[in-house]
Amino acid sequence: MSGPVSDLGRARDESGEVVAVEGLDGGMVEITARLPHLAATARPGEFAQLRAWGGVDPLLRRPFSVAWTAGELCSFVLEAVGAGTRLLVGLRPGDPLQALGPLGNGFPLDPVPVRAVIVSGGLGCAPFPLLVRELRRRGCADVIVLSGAATASRLYPAARFRRGEDSVRVVETTDDGSRGRRGLVTELVADACDETAAVYACGPNPMLAAVARTLQRLARPPRRAHVSLEAPMGCGFGTCLGCALPASGGGWFLCCRQGPVREVSEVDWPGLLALPPAHVA
Amino acid sequence: MTAPDLRVDLGRGLILPNPVGLASGTAGYGFELRQLIDVDRLGALFTKGTTLHPRDGNPPPRVAEVRGGMLNAIGLQNPGVEHVASAYAPEFSRWGVPVVVNVAGGNVEDYLQCLDRLERAEGLAGYELNISCPNIANGLDFGRDPAAAGRLVAAARSRTGRHLMVKLSPNVTDIAAVARAVEEAGADSVSAVNTYVGMKIHRGIRAPVLPGRGTGGLSGPVIKTLALAAVAEVRRAVRIPVVGVGGIMDAGDALEFLIAGADAIQVGTATFVNPTASLEVLDGLTEIATRAGVRRLRELRGPALPAMPPAGIEPASTG
Repeated sequence: MSGPVSDLGRARDESGEVVAVEGLDGGMVEITARLPHLAATARPGEFAQLRAWGGVDPLLRRPFSVAWTAGELCSFVLEAVGAGTRLLVGLRPGDPLQALGPLGNGFPLDPVPVRAVIVSGGLGCAPFPLLVRELRRRGCADVIVLSGAATASRLYPAARFRRGEDSVRVVETTDDGSRGRRGLVTELVADACDETAAVYACGPNPMLAAVARTLQRLARPPRRAHVSLEAPMGCGFGTCLGCALPASGGGWFLCCRQGPVREVSEVDWPGLLALPPAHVA
Repeated sequence: MTAPDLRVDLGRGLILPNPVGLASGTAGYGFELRQLIDVDRLGALFTKGTTLHPRDGNPPPRVAEVRGGMLNAIGLQNPGVEHVASAYAPEFSRWGVPVVVNVAGGNVEDYLQCLDRLERAEGLAGYELNISCPNIANGLDFGRDPAAAGRLVAAARSRTGRHLMVKLSPNVTDIAAVARAVEEAGADSVSAVNTYVGMKIHRGIRAPVLPGRGTGGLSGPVIKTLALAAVAEVRRAVRIPVVGVGGIMDAGDALEFLIAGADAIQVGTATFVNPTASLEVLDGLTEIATRAGVRRLRELRGPALPAMPPAGIEPASTG
């Protein structure tokens, strides 16, 4: 097992309270909750294990990237795909929300400003508002978000990537051309990259694999490129060993502790694409 | 009210400071959970199943949630006994919690070589022989056949003076027969039960969610009722201590296992849902025993109790 392993020293199980549930277009929901510890400690690309129900059905918590923090508040972007997420999107202000975090290794950040190219597909937007803010805080003047989705309603709003950072460029694509450029977001990656760029990508596995292929073919590859992945998780903190994903060179890495962020070359992309669709379960 | 004596003597020198342990496969080797909870307060830590050689484990997906529980098919991913003995055991010896190494293998020789290596390591409180992993080829053979289980345990017994616990499989026709066989062969205690073989079907792809044979080990609250029956049956079959495990989510569940005849318990899947679950079980059990006015946990078992439950004991379970 290689790569940075998450530090659990900051993780804490916290009882919070929902303060806002905003429905976005296309079924996406942004939930904001008062979670002072998570808000104070979460770094871009880290996640929390959420539970907002008693009883044993659903049993396990659900992992979500920390999308934003403000004071004592944390936000998460999700949509209803199963029993747990259906309960989460149905939350109302005042409802309790249990959060274990921050978990995961998060995005690596350079000590010096870099050109940042962020590639977001659909719900893969979740970790990026926090990353955008951190990059700007570190003096990155050139931050571009390539945001793609199947159709206009599935695009995460450009203003939510920026959140006041007006110099951040957001370039949108849709598969059906209903907003922005028609086509796949990955088609923009090559033009946006040069050897000074740091690439951060999150989205469906086929999109991430296309990003990886694109970067491999570049004459001037970026200084580095990282992807944020997802897997069905039991615990989220490295004890159940349930969230293994295929590593390049054989074997597995644990998405929860040796991820969810991996350097592009550390992932066995054909292996990842061959996985059965457990997420739908 | 005086504080009850929570210690549990499992035999051959293994005295747990209290009856609440972390179940094998749900606590790794303790390093992650130590960053989240005060593991040293617990009665024991049962490690991930450890094999002679390192194992990468099964391809994903490895876990699937089901109603009231989860399936896992991890495939005994572990760093191998050499790493456990040389890198982990020295750490264990500095911890307050007794660490029991769960040992797994595909044949008798694997188990014995694994034990031989662990015997040269300090800091281990004992062994839990895993004769019941449902996720590796041949992993169940010892657990299903009383004679084979007995031979394995007799061989293991000859290699160690440390405490030897045997984790029983519930996926058998007659769990009492296996329990008796391992007791006769020299086991100091048994833990019951390992996971139940289960399957989750994905209707969309018209196939099991888990790869390979499509089966995995079922754990969580959904198995508690089954595990209680198995513990009671094993309790009647043997004289050695019984460690109950299967779907314990809270102190009330743990109490039910003690009433069914367990001397100690393990908290497993609950830790995934709530990392502090084991400590909450310990605190809850302590409170129950204190309120009930018992001096030793054993007194919480059936016949010694008054007809009306004392304050602090919920008379009925809904789970």
